[in-house]
Parts: sequence; structure tokens; C-alpha cells
Amino acid sequence: MAEVILKNLTKQWGDFVAVDGQSLEVSDKEFLVLLGPSGCGKTTTMRMIAGLEEPTEGEIWIGDRMVNDDLPKDRDVAMVFQNYGLYPHMTIFDNIAYPLRVRGTPSSEIEPRVRKAAEQVELTQFLDRRPKALSGGQRQRVALARAIVRTPKVFLMDEPLSNLDAKLRVTMRAELKHLSRELKVTTVYVTHDQIEAMTLADRVAVMKDGVIQQLGSPDEIYNDPANLFVAGFIGSPAMNLINGSIQGGQFVTTGGTQLVPVGGDDRKEVVLGVRADDIRVSEAGQGNIDVPIYAFENTGEATLLTVQWGRQRVIAKGDRYLRKEQDDMIGIALNPEHLYLFDPSTGSRIRT
Amino acid sequence: MIGRRRKQVMNAVQLALILIAILIMLVPIAWIFMAAFKNHIDVFQLKLFFTPTLENFGTVFEPPFFLGHKLMNSTIVAFVTVVFAIPIATMAAYSFSRFRLTGETTMLVVILATQFVPAVVIILPFFVMFRDIGLLDTRIGLILVNLAIVMPFAIWMIKGFIDGIPLDTEEAAMVDGSSRLQVIRNIVLPMAAPGLLTAGIFCFIIAWNEFLFALILTNKDAVTLPIGLALFKAEEGDLWNLLSAAGIIIMLPMFVLALIIRKYFVQGMTMGAVR
Repeated sequence: MAEVILKNLTKQWGDFVAVDGQSLEVSDKEFLVLLGPSGCGKTTTMRMIAGLEEPTEGEIWIGDRMVNDDLPKDRDVAMVFQNYGLYPHMTIFDNIAYPLRVRGTPSSEIEPRVRKAAEQVELTQFLDRRPKALSGGQRQRVALARAIVRTPKVFLMDEPLSNLDAKLRVTMRAELKHLSRELKVTTVYVTHDQIEAMTLADRVAVMKDGVIQQLGSPDEIYNDPANLFVAGFIGSPAMNLINGSIQGGQFVTTGGTQLVPVGGDDRKEVVLGVRADDIRVSEAGQGNIDVPIYAFENTGEATLLTVQWGRQRVIAKGDRYLRKEQDDMIGIALNPEHLYLFDPSTGSRIRT
Repeated sequence: MIGRRRKQVMNAVQLALILIAILIMLVPIAWIFMAAFKNHIDVFQLKLFFTPTLENFGTVFEPPFFLGHKLMNSTIVAFVTVVFAIPIATMAAYSFSRFRLTGETTMLVVILATQFVPAVVIILPFFVMFRDIGLLDTRIGLILVNLAIVMPFAIWMIKGFIDGIPLDTEEAAMVDGSSRLQVIRNIVLPMAAPGLLTAGIFCFIIAWNEFLFALILTNKDAVTLPIGLALFKAEEGDLWNLLSAAGIIIMLPMFVLALIIRKYFVQGMTMGAVR
């Protein structure tokens, strides 16, 4: 049980800066997700916490101890790897028992603890098998059981679900969430999948180019993105980002004349962000503006309407029973509560 | 129909080519096998049917040939070579595979380059050195030479096997609480075991068959089997039947090892596939 504190953590390989002077506090029992595209430094950050990578600069604290110079084995963390990192020459039982054995746990304790961990991930009937004989999802469960078999100060999970197929990923995600609420251990979780981040996290740190762009609860990063990057990265379909300007409190698209009230001072160049959910679809003439449909997609649970708005295309989410054809005219209205303005040159949010 | 006929012809051609290749490789061995069981009269005739005799295998162990002594030398030299070569090569290979060493590439290339030096070129300095420090005609001397021959090979081969072990697995073991040495003992060695065995057998074969150095650096006490073959020369010419019998004694362990290696080689290749 412990918090994890990073102080001005930097990792460089030659000229390449993977992590750039990041500070971060993960509180006790918190589930923190590091989210970002590949190469953003999230895995490197985690590997530095685990002790598999040495920081170029900065400090790493686990609990009240600075662990910079500690070997991985002395940091009392458990890690789940993307490729599972199982020991192929050992049975599942021995795989799960390994952290206990190597730390000199009395053998009378090992058996019940391995059984308990195996039960928690529903693996009891496979204990005699080798990893080779298990499916991907089962292997990932073994890796999980190996992590939870002892009670480490911190769990580290490096994209644990990304090698699983889509359906299994959803099931495992729920299991992971259930398990994490049950165990209540400080967890740092790395992923590039924003849905995993949204669903699992207490707080999410969105990273890009080795720098944390925004740190906040899933609600905060979804509903109150700090900059263009976070706005475009979170959400599916991605947030519509429309170039234009503000003239007299109205948003005008580049090259277009259509107007939407947004308020605020006049600006020559702004980016308007609006989520597909926050665009209300109606019959032509009943919204802010009328636009032609570029493509109509039915996903079953909803409909996605890509509309041609001036020179840009914008995605709106419609009712699941809505039926339209390509090139039909519809009216769209933007929910004024959830419009975001960004400065295109800096990418930062303009708050009005 | 034409396509099918054509395919049949191609298959026949393929089969014929394979048979020819096998024939070229196996005929000398078959000749040796037959000669070893012929008596000293039959052996000079190309007879396929003859009364086989085991007499040759007895004769080669008797005076003046004493093949037993050479067999002992060969076994000790090859065995001790492997016993030293594999642990040392494993340590070197692990370091090359897992750590970033200064001059790593250069070292690897230099290690490989030693293999390119023709033995004949360096045999004289070896002879002079060994004479000066009294290693001439000793098993220890031969073991040292064989180590120099097999080490580069063993390092490269074992490095290949260790490279095939996913780094994740080792890192998982480290986070789970192992020291580097525990990782090597509990994870790397068991996973690389088929590779180590394969490398060990290859080294054994190389040391067992080594001829040139043994020829120059030994003359009586430490003579090995391949050199021993040269003894079967008499005033009446080469003793083909005895030569063949000795040849079989040299080859037999190689056949057995080849069978073992085949099993483990496949296992070694597929080991890394487990993710």
C-alpha cells in the first residue's frame, strides 16, 4: 500500500527524449492510467517505475522511499506485460508461485496462496498445464494471478489487454476492473486505448511526446479537455475539430458563411471542437444550419452521419432508428454547453 | 490432364535428383560399412555378398594398433572441451545478448573472424609455444586448442538461442523478485537448455573430428582417433578392413549424437514461439 511519486522524471536515449521532466503523484490505492499514442513515453515511464529502465534525471518514490537505485526485485511492485512474460518451461502453478518462491515464502503458504490467486482469475482447472496449452486470454489471466499472488505495493500493467481479440478485451476489462476494486492496490496502467482508460481509471494522464498533456478523472478529460491533442484523442468517434474564426460572438467556418453562436471575443483563427453526441440532428430547417449528408452509417446501436459542412466534414450521432440517404439535407444544432474553442497555433484551450 | 501428367513427371525428376544426392553421400559410408566386416582378402574386391566377420573390430584394439588408448584420448579431449566450452560460452553469449557492451560489435566480429584463420597458418606458433611450456603431446594441450576452435562457434550459436528468449520473460522474473543470477538460473538456462545441448553436441563433434592440430601437436601419448587411422599402414599397403573398422568406431558416436540433436534442434527452434 503506497503512493507513487515521480519528480521531474526524464529519460533520454542520445538526443531522443522519451520522457521529458514529468512529475506525477499517484495516491494510495488509486488506479491511474497513462494514456497516449505509441511512442509518447508512457511505457518508458512505467518501466522506470518498475526499475527496468534507469531515469536520466529525476526521482521515483514508492511509499516513503526513493527507489531510483533499487533493483526491480527490491521495489516490491508486480507487473503485467503486454506479451504476458510467462515462463514457458513451468506449469501454471509454478508460474504463479514463482514470485513467492523466489522471495523465500515458506512452502506451506505457497499452495493456498496460489490456489486463491488462481480462483480470483478463474484458472483453477489449468494449474497443471503449461502456458503453451492456454489461450491468449487465459495466459493473460496467469500473468494477472502471478501479480496478485503476493500483495505488492504497486501494480504496473503495460497494455495487458492489447494482445487479446476485441470481444475478449471487453470481458477482461470488466474482470480487471472488478479485481482492481476488490484488491485496492495502487495501480499504474499503460494503454493507448482510450476506452480502457475511460472505463478503468480513477484518473487518467494523457501523454504526448514525453509530456503529460492533462491529468484528471475520465469525466474531466472527456468533458473538459485541456488542449487540442486531448480533445482529438479522447472519444470515439473522435471529436469534430472545425477550423474557422469568431466574428461578433458567432463561429464562422473557414471559407464558409454558416454561423453558430459561441460567444467570446473576435478571433481570426480558432478551432471549434464538438463531439458527435453534442450535435443534435433534425429535419432540414429545424437546426442551426442545413447541411447535406456525405455518408450515412448505421452501427446498430446508433447512426453516424458524416455531413459536409462548408469545406469540412463533421460527424454527428443520430438516433438508432433514424434513416437517411446520402445527399439528403438535414439540420444540425450544436449543443452550446459543450463547445470547445482552441488556439490552432498553440493547441491550447480558449476559455470564454 | 496435361497439367497432371506434367506434375507427375516433375515429381519423378525430383525424386531422381534426391536419390542421386543421397547416393553420392551414402556410397562412401556404405563402402566403409561393408569393408569393416570383410576379411583382408575380400576387402580388395568390390563384392556385395561376402561372409561378414567381426574380427577387424578385435584386431584394431590389439597391439600394435592400441585403438583403445586413442579412443580414450578422443573421448577425454572432446568431453572436457565441451564441459569447459559450454558454460564459458553461455556466460559470454548472455552478456552479448542482454547487455550493451562497449565495442560489442567489434568483439563479436573478432570472435567470428578467428574462425576464418586457416589452422595451418597458426599451427606453427602453437607448436613452438606448446613445446616451450611442455604441452606438446598432452591431452591438456589438445583441450586448449579445441577450446579455441569451438568457443567462437559456441558463443554465436548460444547467443542465437538466448536472443530467442523474449526479454519480457526475463523482466517479469526480475520484477517478480529475482536477482540477475536467479533469472539466469531459473529462466534463461531452462529455456535455453535445448540450445545448450545442441551447441554442446556440435562442439563435441568438432573436437572429436579435429585432425590437423592433433596431427602436429601429438605423436604418442595424446594421439586421438582420427590420427590413429594413419596407423593402419603396413608394408603390404593400407589395411583397408582395419581402417574401415576404426572409421566405424569414430562415426558411431556421431550418428547417435546426430539423432539426439535432431530431436532437440527442432525443440530449440520452436521454443521461442511461446509468447
